[in-house]
Amino acid sequence: MRAQFRSRIRLILFFVLLIALLILLRLYFLQIVYGEDYARKADRQFASGGSGLFDRGSIYLTRKDGALISAATLATGFLVAINPQTLADPESAYAAIAAAASSTLVSRDAFLAAAAKKGQTYIEVAHRLPEEAGRALAARNVPGILVLRERWRYYPGGSLAAQSVGIVSYGSGDALVGQTGLETVYDGTLSRTGDSLYKNFFAQLFSNVGNLLVDAKDAREGDIVTSIEPEVQLRLEHDLAEVTTRYTSKESGGIIMNPSTGEIIALAAYPSYDGNDLRNVDPSLLGNPLVEHVHEFGSIMKPLTLAAALDAGVVTPETTYNDTGCITVNTARLCNWDLKPRGVIPLKQIIVQSLNVGAAWVATELGQERFRKYFTALFGQKTGIDLSSETGALLGNLSKPQQVGYDTAAYGQGIAMTPVQMVRALGALANGGVMVTPHLARAIRLNSGIERKLDSEERVAVFSPEAVRETTRMMTAVVDEKLENGKAKIPTMSVAAKTGTAQLTNGRGGYFTDRFFHSFVGFFPSYNPRFIILLYTNDPQHVEYASETLNAAFLDLVHFLIDYYAVPPDRGLPSEAAPAATPLS
Amino acid sequence: MRSARFRLLFSPLSACLGAVGVLLVAYIGLIAVVMSYAALTVEFSQSVRNEEAAVAALESEYLAGMADITRTDYAAAGYAKPSVQTFVRAQSATASR
Repeated sequence: MRAQFRSRIRLILFFVLLIALLILLRLYFLQIVYGEDYARKADRQFASGGSGLFDRGSIYLTRKDGALISAATLATGFLVAINPQTLADPESAYAAIAAAASSTLVSRDAFLAAAAKKGQTYIEVAHRLPEEAGRALAARNVPGILVLRERWRYYPGGSLAAQSVGIVSYGSGDALVGQTGLETVYDGTLSRTGDSLYKNFFAQLFSNVGNLLVDAKDAREGDIVTSIEPEVQLRLEHDLAEVTTRYTSKESGGIIMNPSTGEIIALAAYPSYDGNDLRNVDPSLLGNPLVEHVHEFGSIMKPLTLAAALDAGVVTPETTYNDTGCITVNTARLCNWDLKPRGVIPLKQIIVQSLNVGAAWVATELGQERFRKYFTALFGQKTGIDLSSETGALLGNLSKPQQVGYDTAAYGQGIAMTPVQMVRALGALANGGVMVTPHLARAIRLNSGIERKLDSEERVAVFSPEAVRETTRMMTAVVDEKLENGKAKIPTMSVAAKTGTAQLTNGRGGYFTDRFFHSFVGFFPSYNPRFIILLYTNDPQHVEYASETLNAAFLDLVHFLIDYYAVPPDRGLPSEAAPAATPLS
Repeated sequence: MRSARFRLLFSPLSACLGAVGVLLVAYIGLIAVVMSYAALTVEFSQSVRNEEAAVAALESEYLAGMADITRTDYAAAGYAKPSVQTFVRAQSATASR
């Protein structure tokens, strides 16, 4: 009985050992005897080392219905390399590669020079081959030509929101990293350590159980979801391009923001660039002028001056002043845009008629210390927007005792700030008197699947709700009464706006008399705004006032947003019997 | 008195050989599973990336289409600008009357 059991055990043992031996034998043949053949086959199947392929998280735009559209993602294709040692016929090899990758292939001379380097075994000669072209070239099995998988950063929108999204390039190391825009601000979230896709479960299990269960990378790496709406962004870019081309401006820019939350719906500058093709791009375009350049904005500053004076209680909506057309302050002569006096008029006319003398009078009433306090609160710090290289405002005139510095600042000359700082400050007029933090990213979608919201809670109160309401009333009158002589009025929608025209500095401490910076701000519905729009165009030719250059773009955006978001009317609902009609010019 | 000596059913050598055999097979099996898992992971991740690239191409087409619509000059296309804009009450499509 015992002997029989023992013999059975031995029989099982024999079979176990036999199977093990067979498996080892098979592995020997696979790895040692035919190893090279299989490796070559693997190469033919384009399975280059997984960790060598570029990997990076995506940046998404958010459509109004919540659908995500990639602003930055990865494209997959092939690269072509040659092995000069096995490349038999360089001429025919070049012809074969050129047929598949004409645009990205090195020149013929460079190719032949590379093929002549017989001491080397791997030289890359073409990149970014499309899927079909790469597969077709690989199928030809040309000796000495390697077709390998390649991934690269791809921006589906081309130049769409390019200066906000940013670019990746090789920095000081040998890895592609974010260099500008969101690509650099969120580089820590977007960059990949390379092994996440090819994680060896068992190796992880044996080496570090903790990391397998709760991987620190999964809590850090992810995709960025922005609040930029692609169609609104397209519309803004289109309008800015039109303004710049029509008036031969140096540059134009614009921001559309939700004033309550600081979420930026569109942010654009023109000219811009296509992130997919940086070969002939002017490097100065790679930055973002909306956060890096400061400007004197002109009269769109007046509503802030008025709101400060109303908030401080030094004036009321019923206050009047005597407008003399020109005044002399510290030997400087300050005048209205048309040099004409208005006599005794109410404060509202400072905004409606854009009167510099009135703004200067309000600044004097406010006093230097209070003026400095308000304007330092509005522009004294960076906004904290999630874009790189943000610049601060130039408020030097407000630390000097000369009153002329305060008077000119009251109508937007002599102090300079970035467009993002300006829209943040003006946003306080649209949301009850608080400044919010402008931001592009609204969430991070972590690899773990969790979506982390990024809404900024920081809100700085600068004006009372009453002060901004009165100022808004004055700005609404600009659209209803002045813009296009009242034709711009929308019967069913209140829109608050203000134009600004500032003289450009000549670099010698003075100003050009014939070169201007035009700006335009507006928000709607006036008393519960969903959108604030800031536009500017720098140095437009043969035109003096912002009401001429930016009117059409602003109104186009207002009507587009009302239609696109189906913003409900907030006033003047027409009866069915008597619909409100507006003749169009 | 009967001897209380413990006697094994099989020799220690056989037991050790058996254990070695089982461990060897288990080890090789583990390697096979790991390799298969790694190969599948690579294949799947590659497939995911290919799909993402295909989606990106579609997104690019969508955005280019939107840009074309935005750029369209309707006046040049023969459409006349309306002479009057009328604001009317919206009619509810769903409310029962």
